[in-house]
Amino acid sequence: MKSKIIFSLLAALPFVIGGCATNAHYVETGGRESVVTVGQINIQDYIQAANAATSDLLASGALDKVATPPAVLAISRIVNNTGQQIDTDLLTKKIRVAVLNSGKAQTTTTMGLGGTAEDPMAKGLQQENEFMNDQKTTRKPDFTLSGKIIETTARAGSTRQSTYSFQLSLTDARTGLAVWEGEKEITKQGTRPSVGF
Amino acid sequence: MKTRMLLPLAGIGLLALAGCTTVNSVENADKQGQRQMVTDQRAITDASLDRKVSIVGVNQSMTPGGLLKVQVELQNRTRSLQRFNYRFEWFDANGMQVTTVASALLPDQIEGKESKFIFGLAPNPNCKDFRVKFIEAQ
Repeated sequence: MKSKIIFSLLAALPFVIGGCATNAHYVETGGRESVVTVGQINIQDYIQAANAATSDLLASGALDKVATPPAVLAISRIVNNTGQQIDTDLLTKKIRVAVLNSGKAQTTTTMGLGGTAEDPMAKGLQQENEFMNDQKTTRKPDFTLSGKIIETTARAGSTRQSTYSFQLSLTDARTGLAVWEGEKEITKQGTRPSVGF
Repeated sequence: MKTRMLLPLAGIGLLALAGCTTVNSVENADKQGQRQMVTDQRAITDASLDRKVSIVGVNQSMTPGGLLKVQVELQNRTRSLQRFNYRFEWFDANGMQVTTVASALLPDQIEGKESKFIFGLAPNPNCKDFRVKFIEAQ
């Protein structure tokens, strides 16, 4: 009898442990349940910055001022002036997707900073096509997008504060003049990492 | 004895008032701009949030590039700062939702008795309708 009880308990043990071992669940990216940390740029910060930049850029009408719409956009340097190692594509890709979906601009993937192409295969095929047809088919970018991400921190007693400034400039490739500039600042404050907005 | 009882009560009252900061404002009385107000349809499921941060009105305009721009005026009915999240949802001519980075949940805050505007820009010229959702911050 005793062994039967022990056996049943042992059999149930993995299920009990399995149930308690993890509380993993899905949350909405950038949603209310996202983790907020003071000393780091969180995913919702990139989303907020990209949202603000895209709205501001599209509302400005700067991308509409081209002879043959949609405008062609090239991504230039986004300087990371924070103390963190970040992938700036987390910001730029969201902006690129939004401007492409708006129908206002298309981003070149065969022209990049320092002559490097984002898509080398597309660049190779494009060059081959130009060679075969003996004519330039590449459309030069109308605009370039550059920017900087800056981190400013402050501390008073046990309160810590971080401000992340997302600065972006859209430059007219013909004139070299900035035709749109946007800045979104996100400030977070806390005494220790907390969850939720 | 009475003073002994009143002093702690006054202290508690002061502490309670310390969290309250309201906003004074001034603006031009003769408005030059004309807001194109939208006839809105509301669904209030969080009465608590609605009592604190209420929707005053919605107006819209079109950008030169043909994008719908929507502005919502909010009013904090309380005397303390309120935090909330909002999200703009956009719909095309067929009523299908268009999801982009413009549909992100955005955190915001409003000071006591303050009136403020939030705005959203349609992700593309095909977007004809919108919905704004408000969620109380955690």
